[in-house]
Amino acid sequence: MRSSAMFFSMHTGIQHESSNPNSRITPIREIVSLVQPVAREGVQDRELLAGVARRNSGAFEALYDRYSRPVYSLALGMLRDAQAAQEITQEVFLSIWRQADEFDPTRGNVRSWLLALAHHKTVDAIRRGRLRATEPLEETQASDLDVVEEALRRLEQGRVREALVRLPAEQRQAIVLAYYGGYTQQEVAERLSIPLGTAKTRIRDAMIRLRGTLAGVKEATP
Amino acid sequence: MTHESLRDLLPAYALDALTADQAHEVSAHLETCELCRGELALLQETASQLAGATPQVAPPPRLRDQMLAAIHPQPRTITIPRGWAIGLAAAAAALVIVASLTAARFSREVVLLEQRVARQEQILSVLTGPAAKTAVLAGVVQANVKFVYDPSRGEGALVVTDLRDPGRQQVYQLWLVAGSTPESAGVFRPEAGRPIVVPVRADFTKYQAVAISIERAPFGASQPTTTPILTGRI
Repeated sequence: MRSSAMFFSMHTGIQHESSNPNSRITPIREIVSLVQPVAREGVQDRELLAGVARRNSGAFEALYDRYSRPVYSLALGMLRDAQAAQEITQEVFLSIWRQADEFDPTRGNVRSWLLALAHHKTVDAIRRGRLRATEPLEETQASDLDVVEEALRRLEQGRVREALVRLPAEQRQAIVLAYYGGYTQQEVAERLSIPLGTAKTRIRDAMIRLRGTLAGVKEATP
Repeated sequence: MTHESLRDLLPAYALDALTADQAHEVSAHLETCELCRGELALLQETASQLAGATPQVAPPPRLRDQMLAAIHPQPRTITIPRGWAIGLAAAAAALVIVASLTAARFSREVVLLEQRVARQEQILSVLTGPAAKTAVLAGVVQANVKFVYDPSRGEGALVVTDLRDPGRQQVYQLWLVAGSTPESAGVFRPEAGRPIVVPVRADFTKYQAVAISIERAPFGASQPTTTPILTGRI
């Protein structure tokens, strides 16, 4: 009895000696705000995701509002097809709704996890499309470099673009083809006419260098 | 593959630049290797920065509507009182009236079998009456739970259309809240696939809120022991 009485007064913040006529109304507001954390600004991503795992549609809405833009933008940037990018966005958020509890907080932050999921699904779509599409018989190295330049040109100005531009050209080509182009390391090797081992090394070195340059750089909040 | 060779694949894994077979191998290794998980988290953060460098475009608003519709298989609101009148009258035969199990100040007699029909009709008349008010309960769980009550008659009912099973060890407990004091109005369990109604008889002018908390089965608690999962203002 004592603990429960404490429970409610703690959570409502109501002083029993209060003679304020509004005090009859205040506690409910506070109870309601307590049990609806998703409505509040500045709720941590992890709390939102925990809410989604509990099938809280409000938490899902908040997560969608926070991340649909970067997810959609990534898919659109890679696929250049608004319809396909919408499908990816839908797939990403539905799979989060179904499997929010698969997020492991020891494996990094929610934003990275979510964008990794979006990238993964986009790459899947690109590869499915490549299987269907008839590849031109003779693709030249030059066209792949154009792809890289084109991808770079479309990136927004900022730290990331700058960091990519500052990479040695051969590393930049490898990582841009891999990440934005959705190519495997083998495909990157073929496209750049370099041995597989060299492609692996370039991709790895590029990632390590980018990590060094970009570590601690704050993302603009979506 | 050895830990070293798998670790070498992590940058490509973070970029989705592995073949499906290679990616499977790395995934399996990650399950057991904390070192590699930590490494991957850093690489994924870098990858997400690459993602964020694409031109930012908002998806069309209708996509949001579609998403929300997709996760809400049932309509979220039902119009009161007409909607309830139609919906409940049709569902009356299937309606389960749940007797409140705890003994306290409200009417909480165990509803005997022969009393059920009369009670059901009484509840239905409250729910569909012109003086009926309704409070939609909201909170930290996805639910479709409403409290319908008629202050002039002191009759009300909690209508639970969609609420997750609390498990064998727990029940839901309904509270009427006066100021900062919650009073039990009964315990209940939702039924999968059909609405249940928890009748409540009380002087509703005394209370400002209803709340539902999860308590120990089968009788609940005399006072809440957990934070309410759903609340509504009355």
